[in-house]
Amino acid sequence: MAAAIAQQGTAQHAKVEFLARQTSVKPGSDVQLGVHFMLEKGWHIYWINPGDSGQPPSFQWHLPPGFSAGEIQWPFPERLQPSKELVDYGYRGEVLLPLTIHTSSSINNSASVEFRAEAKWLVCREVCIPEQTTLHLTLLVSSATSADQQHAHLFEQANKLIPKPLPSAWKTSFTPTKDELILTIRAGKPITQAEFFPLEPGQIDNPALQKVQALPSGAKITMKKSDLLLKPISTLRGVLVIPASPAYRIEAPARQPIQ
Amino acid sequence: MNQRYRFILQAFAVLALIASAFAVKVGDPAPGFTAVDSNGKQQRLSDYKGKFVVLEWHNQGCPYTKKHYESGNMQRLQKEWTEKGVVWLTVISSAPGMQGFVTPSQENDYLKTMKAAPTAVLMDPGGSLGHLYAAKTTPHMFIIDPKGMLVYNGAIDDHPTSDQGDIPNSKNYVSMALEQAMGGKPVAEAATRPYGCSVKYKD
Repeated sequence: MAAAIAQQGTAQHAKVEFLARQTSVKPGSDVQLGVHFMLEKGWHIYWINPGDSGQPPSFQWHLPPGFSAGEIQWPFPERLQPSKELVDYGYRGEVLLPLTIHTSSSINNSASVEFRAEAKWLVCREVCIPEQTTLHLTLLVSSATSADQQHAHLFEQANKLIPKPLPSAWKTSFTPTKDELILTIRAGKPITQAEFFPLEPGQIDNPALQKVQALPSGAKITMKKSDLLLKPISTLRGVLVIPASPAYRIEAPARQPIQ
Repeated sequence: MNQRYRFILQAFAVLALIASAFAVKVGDPAPGFTAVDSNGKQQRLSDYKGKFVVLEWHNQGCPYTKKHYESGNMQRLQKEWTEKGVVWLTVISSAPGMQGFVTPSQENDYLKTMKAAPTAVLMDPGGSLGHLYAAKTTPHMFIIDPKGMLVYNGAIDDHPTSDQGDIPNSKNYVSMALEQAMGGKPVAEAATRPYGCSVKYKD
């Protein structure tokens, strides 16, 4: 018998699976689950900040008593441009959205546990369609767990795309000017190529080109302010994507413009 | 320089010009325009000086637009605010062949079926009005005050979903902004992230 029974959600433009990284649940230990979207060619779904249009997938978790769900670890997105006016942030092809579930030791006497998720997502090509499904996953309870050979590689692939904390030696800050936000990254080495994905909507103008200037010790990324940004912001949050490097989470504090 | 490369450079130059020329910021004068409505009548923004004007970007096939029309929410807002003297201009920037593109008579039929009550529907298949305001989504809402200044740019409400069930629990930014502005108060939430489908521009 298979250790994990996953049900595939069926929708028009996406196949969706509810997966576990391990073959079974050890009472009281964390277990990694993930929702795996396989999108029809030409269609996309959205990142947590969808950009100028669209909507991120949302989930309602139904867990055994005493269990709790962590946050979804969003892999960094791709820049999608439906017209010169708009840039969206999302995923094409396939994407795994992993999360950690904290289990309870009170399941010692159960043979298996069931997880359920009500998933809703918007899938778009030129047009957008809201889709939804209910996902089920049953895992055996066991004191010895091992990686699910079939799924572990999907979690490892996703992990490479999930932004990591900034290395402790790196420093970031940003300087607001009248029309721009200038993000400075100090990394102890030049960064010649980088792209910033904002976590908050309405801070940077998404379609405007990001100007990356390499510094001896890092880089400066100049971004146009969004028309929607009316008040000063104290922190610029987002994800920094550097080729051939992990992506990093950025929480850059504001510095006053140099007069 | 080869031709393809030159073309790309030129395209970039044009894009940069468009992006920088038409910033639409709350507190700035709203860009003036002339457009033809679904009855073939010319509509000029300057005709409505002295009145509040709402611009509503529309695409009848978009699930987010449907949320507000199939629930009757948008029609209620149109009726309520036009009765209070507000000019409500619905704008359709879908290009021919794209979702939401309609002929004027199809639009007039839609207005009748949906019992919609805007002051007029502006037909913008070339997208020039949409690009002038940098309209991004359907719906995307703008409010212009009697002096011609932009006082609101953003979403219709605070629930960025396509679920009709969310409407009763939503804070309607357009009504709040109109109440505040018409009461002589500053608009508290004057710029929000608009949500919905991308506007189906030709470019």
